[in-house]
Amino acid sequence: MLGFGLVCFSALDSRAQAPQSTPASQPIHVLMIFNESQDVPGNIVLEQAVRVEMQKLVTNRIEFSSEYLDARHFSDQEHFRVFQDYLGRKYAGQQLDLILVFPSRDYRLARELPNTLFPDVPVVFVAVNEMEVPEAIARLGVTGIVQRFDLRGTLGLMMRLQPDTRRIVVIGGTNEVDRATLGRIAEASRALEGIEFEFWTNRPVADVPRAVRSLPEGTVVLISTVVSDASGQTYYMSQLAQMLAPVASVPVYVLGGWVIGSGAVGGSVVDSQDLGTRTARLAVHVLNGADPEQIPIEVVTKGTPMVDWRALKRWNMKQNRLPADCVVRYRPNSIWEEHQTLIVFVGVVFLAQAMTIAALLVQRMQRRRAEMEIQRQRTELAHVARVSTLGQLASALTHELNQPLGAILRNAEAAEIFLQKDQPNLEEIRAILADIRRDDRRAGDVIDRMRTLFKRRSMVSGRLDFRNLVEDTVALARPDAEIRQIQIITQVPPQLPAVHGDRVQLQQVLLNLILNGMDAMNTTPRPERRLTVRVSEAKDGNLLVAVSDRGTGIASEDIVHVFEPFFTTKASGMGMGLAISRTIVQAHGGEIRAANNALSGATFAFTLPCLDQPNP
Amino acid sequence: MTSAPANPAGTVFIVDDDASFLRSVSRLLSAVGYTVQTFESAQEFLNRLNPEMSGCVVADLQMPGINGLELQKALKLSANPLPVIFLTGQGDIPTTVMAMRGGAVDYLVKRAPKEELLAAVQQAFERGAKERHQRDHLRGLRSRFDQLSQRELEVLERVVLGWMNKQIAADLNIIERTVKLHRTNLTRKLGVQSVAELTRLVDEAGLFKSQKDNRTNPAEPGR
Repeated sequence: MLGFGLVCFSALDSRAQAPQSTPASQPIHVLMIFNESQDVPGNIVLEQAVRVEMQKLVTNRIEFSSEYLDARHFSDQEHFRVFQDYLGRKYAGQQLDLILVFPSRDYRLARELPNTLFPDVPVVFVAVNEMEVPEAIARLGVTGIVQRFDLRGTLGLMMRLQPDTRRIVVIGGTNEVDRATLGRIAEASRALEGIEFEFWTNRPVADVPRAVRSLPEGTVVLISTVVSDASGQTYYMSQLAQMLAPVASVPVYVLGGWVIGSGAVGGSVVDSQDLGTRTARLAVHVLNGADPEQIPIEVVTKGTPMVDWRALKRWNMKQNRLPADCVVRYRPNSIWEEHQTLIVFVGVVFLAQAMTIAALLVQRMQRRRAEMEIQRQRTELAHVARVSTLGQLASALTHELNQPLGAILRNAEAAEIFLQKDQPNLEEIRAILADIRRDDRRAGDVIDRMRTLFKRRSMVSGRLDFRNLVEDTVALARPDAEIRQIQIITQVPPQLPAVHGDRVQLQQVLLNLILNGMDAMNTTPRPERRLTVRVSEAKDGNLLVAVSDRGTGIASEDIVHVFEPFFTTKASGMGMGLAISRTIVQAHGGEIRAANNALSGATFAFTLPCLDQPNP
Repeated sequence: MTSAPANPAGTVFIVDDDASFLRSVSRLLSAVGYTVQTFESAQEFLNRLNPEMSGCVVADLQMPGINGLELQKALKLSANPLPVIFLTGQGDIPTTVMAMRGGAVDYLVKRAPKEELLAAVQQAFERGAKERHQRDHLRGLRSRFDQLSQRELEVLERVVLGWMNKQIAADLNIIERTVKLHRTNLTRKLGVQSVAELTRLVDEAGLFKSQKDNRTNPAEPGR
């Protein structure tokens, strides 16, 4: 409790000098007189608020002097007389402009004392309690503010936060101040239907912490004033809250703003800051020359709803139940509130970075898409060239197919005739069927070899057996070679290092070189028409594939152009074969070259990087 | 099924480098009653060729070494120009033209219907027989002309051109009576009665064909 001082101020006569008349350089002297000692929590906040606010409102520097009666410890008449005597001597030669009194319940401090000692100095008081204000004060021309506890408001807040409350335990004292407060609580409780009020005034406060530890659900604790408990001890409200709130099994409510922070939930409290501000304004008003006698004493009963955010969390109370004007203390600042600038800055940096990254990604995607498109077109072009190459072979391949198909037909016809005989020669028919099967397989092989090259497909890399690749490719070209009376000789060692690549595309390259070589020999005398496909392992570890013809060779001015697109010496050529071959070989990490032979014809050779070990 | 040839006198000589195809055609032709001989290359066949062989040749056009057309040419120059039927995997027009111009009986793709093949063989046999007959006849004729002396041939050549004895005598630088004597001798040797008959015989034997066209009557400009 405590915490009420009472500032009174004697309105003094008209001689009281108005501060406006005080030269700006002259400090204003205010004497603050407290009923309590200097360590009363409520007063500390209040005094500070008054000092700060007053200085804000007045241009002259204000000198404050504070004096404490400490009535709690020294309550006898003699002490009061000594205190008054002391003040009288101490400030005898002093120029005082205002006396601010925090009288608590002892209105003598606001009335008799200043009147006796400093009859010309105006007096303003401020008090926080439930005591009646003596009529005499008002009549003596002292004005001030009396702040009451907002019991109704506190009970209302309590019910709002905890609608299920059935029982309210009030911790109170036995002193006349305490009794006045309790009386007001009892009065306010009548507004609450069906709620049981328990006033714990008879047990020493020292025993209370243990008792609140096991209060049942539906109970709340309200801390009233304990100027004197059952054992005669004095407790400040903030002390009580510190003792009870942390250990209580139920929420604890309080009446003073300065108590909040000790673990209590809150209440519709006396806001010392606000009270101090209002007091300061009144004081300055009087300093400025207002006649205290003309200013009625203000009695405030309205409190400020105020809660401790941490306690709300502890009791799991919903913030949306709080009244709109409720002050929430100790809410941790959000990171946003605390580091707004930094967050904005970092955010902007991140955003810029993200946008840069996004832009880079988009760029990369576009590039990838473009690369894929180029790849696709390259594949497409290779396919077109391949189909065109196969087209050159079409006639020869048809012949190659008709051979087995014709044989199958003749065999079938023969078998029919055999079967019509009286005693068919089954041995012969069996031989026929075996031949038919073999010829079918032969035709199938031709088709298979062609089909892989006809397929439209993207590059597929794999480990290649180059010997097998050469055999297949030469098999494709051989029928055409036979028609053109060209001998194809292959020289492939049995052991070759493995290479990695796209079988179809490399076959295409080889086939292209073979067909070019064959074309070059159209005018070569027949016995000399010989094409050699030679595979070997080069010194640098690469695989070397060379196709040599005995044709006309390459004109010296053409030799640098043969791999250029659309370069052709043939009447029907597209001029893409070698260009595409070069693209394919380069994509495999190899090189392709052309050179004339010493005697006749030309040799086209390409290299491919080997994987590692020789292919078994 | 096609009926077996009425009189398969002769042999079908099949030439193909593809052993399997060779075997299959051989089977079919044997089955329908032909006598068949197979050769895996044109060279092998030409080595065995002799004038006693009769029938026809069924040959692949595309072969390593001597190809079909070359075989046809060689055969034509030989003493026994057997008729040729060409079989091909895939015929292109220039080759076909060359083959037919070279006197091929037929030109068939390898997958041609059996009937076409058999009809072609039948036709070739007939043509072969006819040509053989003509050759025999011509050989008989030629053997008659072979009895004539060089001077008699020179006189005969001018007689069939319709020259008079006097012109012949002048051209050959002999006397007219000697011309008359040669004419008597050659008609006796050839067994003909008239100049008309003589002319027909010379035509049939194909004598003097090369010179006949550009040789003019030397007497003409003189007229």
